Amino acid sequence: MNGALLILKKEFMELSKDRKTLFFTFVMPLILYPLMFLMLGRLGSQDAASRAGRPSRVCLTDPSHVLGRDLESDPQRFLVVPRPPGDLRQAIRDQKLELALEVEPAGAGKLARNETLEMTVLYDHSDESSKLALDRFKSLLRKQESLWVQARLKVLGASPQLAVPVKLETVEAGDMGLFMGKLVGSFLPYLLMIMMYAGAMQHGIYATAGEKERGTLLSLLATSLSRTQIIIGKLLYIFSIGILSALINLLSMAFSVGRLMATGGGGDPQAHAAVTGIAALATPSVLGLTFMLMVPLGLFFANFILLGGIQARNTLEASTALTPGIFVVVLLGVFSMAPGIEKMAWLPFVPVLNVSLAIRKLFSQQGNGFEYMVALGMTVVLAGLMTWISTRMLNRESAIFRV
Amino acid sequence: MIRLTDVHKTFVVKDKRTRARRRIEAVRGISLEVRPGEIYGLLGPNGAGKSTTLRMIAGLMRPDRGLIEVCGVDTVGSPERARALVGYLSTDIGVYSRFTPRELLRLFGEFQGVEARVAERRGMHLLEELGLADFADIRMEGFSGGQKQKVSIARALLHDPRVVIFDEPTTGLDVLTAKTVLDLLRVMKAEGRSVVVSTHVMPMVEAICDRVGIIFDGGLHGDAPPKEIFARWGVASLDEVFFKLADAGGGGAA
Repeated sequence: MNGALLILKKEFMELSKDRKTLFFTFVMPLILYPLMFLMLGRLGSQDAASRAGRPSRVCLTDPSHVLGRDLESDPQRFLVVPRPPGDLRQAIRDQKLELALEVEPAGAGKLARNETLEMTVLYDHSDESSKLALDRFKSLLRKQESLWVQARLKVLGASPQLAVPVKLETVEAGDMGLFMGKLVGSFLPYLLMIMMYAGAMQHGIYATAGEKERGTLLSLLATSLSRTQIIIGKLLYIFSIGILSALINLLSMAFSVGRLMATGGGGDPQAHAAVTGIAALATPSVLGLTFMLMVPLGLFFANFILLGGIQARNTLEASTALTPGIFVVVLLGVFSMAPGIEKMAWLPFVPVLNVSLAIRKLFSQQGNGFEYMVALGMTVVLAGLMTWISTRMLNRESAIFRV
Repeated sequence: MIRLTDVHKTFVVKDKRTRARRRIEAVRGISLEVRPGEIYGLLGPNGAGKSTTLRMIAGLMRPDRGLIEVCGVDTVGSPERARALVGYLSTDIGVYSRFTPRELLRLFGEFQGVEARVAERRGMHLLEELGLADFADIRMEGFSGGQKQKVSIARALLHDPRVVIFDEPTTGLDVLTAKTVLDLLRVMKAEGRSVVVSTHVMPMVEAICDRVGIIFDGGLHGDAPPKEIFARWGVASLDEVFFKLADAGGGGAA
């Protein structure tokens, strides 16, 4: 084992000499995610602030002047603009205005006769400004409707409360933390898998096919270290890089998202509840159990990379062989994000996917001890089997001296 | 001491055109012995089986049949123990260019179980011998082929091996560096090590080798001092032995 640790030391020493790779592997994620989420948050809040601070441009066709005064009396929210030439739909799509309102010509008369007034509103659902304009108009209309209804009731001599038979107060009874746990649990396995595999792949190729290509593998094999020690050392290196890479990326991402929700939420109680909820859910035991699953899964991926790298003649061949693995991992990840998979009875017995399921259940507080142990046990056995195959492969001359 | 007894090695190769698998006998029943304090020259054309033989002696490859012993240690039964006794150098071997020579030698000292202090002292001594001491703390990325070869030689000898196997040690080296390597081989011989050298440079063989074996088509021919080979074949140089063997299709074994 000591020899394997020496190989691990050598690999990390080599890595430490390459500042660029070190930067891109360990420092870049720490800078990239906070920067990316900060920019996204800024852009989002700036956009929202700019929309909120600007009146919505409304083209009003209201020959009997039913709504004109109400819209004009609220210049903070509405700006009545003249009808642009051409098609109104196109004008909204071209963002020349946000809303087009058409009140029937006999609107005022209908109101006076206590009849139903008809109006049409044109808006663009794909445009946030147009949707905001519609919300603003609906809010104005609700107030106006209430006034009209109350006026009609007054004429009839009825109580204004007749129009409000029920006053509904909505109180959130659900657990925001649990909701966030389910959400995080569904995409966390995907992120873990893709980061562990992609993070370790290039390093694995460098340490295996790269050694062949640079002619340095022979110098290692010529030492008194056994081949098993060499392969275990390299395996440990690929595994460590995969785990480190996934942890650094996840921590950076979690920190950035948490900060964005806590600050960018602008005091939104839902955002605050989400952050508090997920913080309460990510207990040391949940994180520890997740990490325990990550270890054999990381080892499994490391073995896969090692096998591909050792079998290849050069780095290009290794890269070509291992890249499709990313798509497989993505597919597994996407599957693990699918809703309702936790109800599939056979899933706890499918290797790799059962790890996704176990993590998902841990975060949604539905952890099942038996299923967890099955997932852990199967992954450990799989990782062990792959390690055995890898060591057998490296001991084969055809793999080492393949040129 | 190196002893090879009836060693065979076969490779299976795939014919790209016919897709058929073929067995190629790279080494056919080679037996030889290299004693302590002796330099043995292993000659032969490209693809004759020299490197395969050397790799088998160095414990990197297993023979299909036969026995290889290094200082009494079976290279198949105890490859790690055998490799600890061998200093192996090949032109195929690269160096970890991100390291400095000092770092590389320290690391390989650890791989060979040499105490750090001893590895440092011995490594620096070897670099001095090879005229590379001034470059001990410079990363090898910008080193020339010759400088890298010198570092590889120092790496191969770092653990004070009883057996030295150099596969084409002077390939790509300038005359001065090549002379340094030859001088080093003579020192190895004087120190009582068993040395096997494979090369295409015939004057070098004639100058330093005590005995010579010619591998042709997987078989060993000669296995005698250069002068004896000349007399046996009635030639004046090893080149002529090569030509005669080629004409005879490898069948004119002596």
